[in-house]
Amino acid sequence: MSSTWRIGSILHAVGLVVVLAFALFPFYWMVTSSLKEQTDLLASPPVWMFKPSFGNYQAIFADRTVMTAVLNSLIVATSTTALSVALGTPAAYALARYEFRGKADLWFWFISNRMISPIVLALPIYLVSRQVGLLNTHLVLILIYLTFNLPIVVWICTDQFRSIPRDLEESARLEGASQFDVFWRIYLPLGVPGVAVSAIFAFIFSWNELLYALVLITSQDLKTAPVVATNFMSGYELPWGKIMATGTVIVLPVTIFAMLVSRHMVRGLTMGATK
Amino acid sequence: MPFLKLDGIVKRYGSVPVIHGVSLEAEEGEFVVFVGPSGCGKSTLLRMIAGLEEVTDGDVSIDGRLVTGVAPADREVSMVFQSYALYPHMSVFDNIAFGLRMAKMPANEIKARVDEAARILQIGSLLERKPKQLSGGQRQRVAIGRAIVRKPKLFLFDEPLSNLDAELRTQMRVEIAKLHRDLGVTMVYVTHDQIEAMTLADRIVVLRAGVIEQVGSPSELYDEPANRFVAGFIGSPKMNFIEAKAVGSDASSITLAHPAFVGGQLTVDRPPKRAVLPGAAVTIGLRPDSLSLGAAKPLLNLTCDFSESLGGHTQVYATAPQAPQIAFVVGGRPEIAQGAPLAVGVGSGRVYLFDSEGAAL
Repeated sequence: MSSTWRIGSILHAVGLVVVLAFALFPFYWMVTSSLKEQTDLLASPPVWMFKPSFGNYQAIFADRTVMTAVLNSLIVATSTTALSVALGTPAAYALARYEFRGKADLWFWFISNRMISPIVLALPIYLVSRQVGLLNTHLVLILIYLTFNLPIVVWICTDQFRSIPRDLEESARLEGASQFDVFWRIYLPLGVPGVAVSAIFAFIFSWNELLYALVLITSQDLKTAPVVATNFMSGYELPWGKIMATGTVIVLPVTIFAMLVSRHMVRGLTMGATK
Repeated sequence: MPFLKLDGIVKRYGSVPVIHGVSLEAEEGEFVVFVGPSGCGKSTLLRMIAGLEEVTDGDVSIDGRLVTGVAPADREVSMVFQSYALYPHMSVFDNIAFGLRMAKMPANEIKARVDEAARILQIGSLLERKPKQLSGGQRQRVAIGRAIVRKPKLFLFDEPLSNLDAELRTQMRVEIAKLHRDLGVTMVYVTHDQIEAMTLADRIVVLRAGVIEQVGSPSELYDEPANRFVAGFIGSPKMNFIEAKAVGSDASSITLAHPAFVGGQLTVDRPPKRAVLPGAAVTIGLRPDSLSLGAAKPLLNLTCDFSESLGGHTQVYATAPQAPQIAFVVGGRPEIAQGAPLAVGVGSGRVYLFDSEGAAL
């Protein structure tokens, strides 16, 4: 092993450790801070060794607000994910298997919806929602998140469906399967990896979304978890312990979910890369 | 009335024609093989019979019923694909039962039919497995099982043995032949392998560039090829061709000139089908298995290039003056040195003649 190669490997490893630390530190700080008493939190220099306390968690669970917010997030994220998959998978099947005029334009329209910066549309969407009476409802968030999640589902699932051999469809058609049978019994079961990954992405995006949840929901009982986390950011003395505990409670379900299905996520990320 | 009728079938992809007015009839219970080189349109023709490709022009009839434009599922045909097309997420039982479930057959009848097919194909012990747990030959049997349970009027095979190794291919060929004998159903089989065609077919349809070159029984195509293409395609090893010139012909024979022959000339004791002018280009066809080494009256002056011993016989490749390589088959394992002069005659069979257009003379 040459010394140049060894130095290169060491530098490479050091670089990776630095990047990893940079990425993980905010999570570490949030979780440890949620377990600290106020005095430990405000200590300068910061306290690295401390006696953990669940007082912050007791305080937020005693307060209905956080748990109601988590429930609201669950309702909105689950509903928008289910709708995205229900609407996106048939669209993806049509784009993967049918030839029709305007197909390329339709495909581009789906994808371009994801390119728009959400903040650009925030005000017009607020005005329209107010006009139709949808402000302060779960439905408005579900519909808005659908517009952002549907392209992801269509994008990933179209590529997944394209990889399924045409022979299977032709064989099924010869055996009397209708177009819906082919989609439901052949493509959907075989497309589970793509469907799962797109559902995961849709759920994560919906769970973490803050801008539209802040703009479109003002009623305290309907606020979602990310919005409630920012609620604490007022006053002269910020309850950092409760803020960090709230943040941990919000992040934990999605983190566990993502860790459990991370293998499928990596597969899914490469699905759009090759024909 | 023919069981299967193709009437002037034309297929175009955009402005590009791929099938040029193919007409064909097959009787009930017949085993018809479409054979030809890659890209000749044999699979396209098969898919048009199945209804998986639209017919640009012409008609397809099955059992007296016009099926052009009829959905594939309503044509009462089953197809075995080259890739088997087994549903990977379903068990073997579910794969075979799929078509019966689509037809809303009662569960007990589905089970009875699947079990019967499994018994015929000897795959009863595999019913709970998934396709990925099967070997190539087992998958092929499952694909055939899925085709036979529906009791179709017509079986279609699209190069079903291409993905198998040589030994398994031979074994499955026999299985398919037995299946045809036992079921007696009309079968249309597509292959590029002329050995499969020769061994399985009642009739062979030789296709080239979307056109039928010849239709006939295996022996008809072997003994009386209509043109040079069919003569070269049917038969293994491939027929040898020598481009000669006609010297003269009469009511009983024709004489041809080429330096490869002893004395520079060859006289064939058979009159040509059409008049041949002296000096006209004539292609001589010689089947490798009709040439014999050490003949009493040698016809060809050959020099050995190399030989391949295949155990029971030897294939010899030799050169001749102004001729492409000549191949012939010798029984046993004779020691033939490279460069050795070879006296070769026509031991059995005949000499084939083709005019400048390739048509048989």
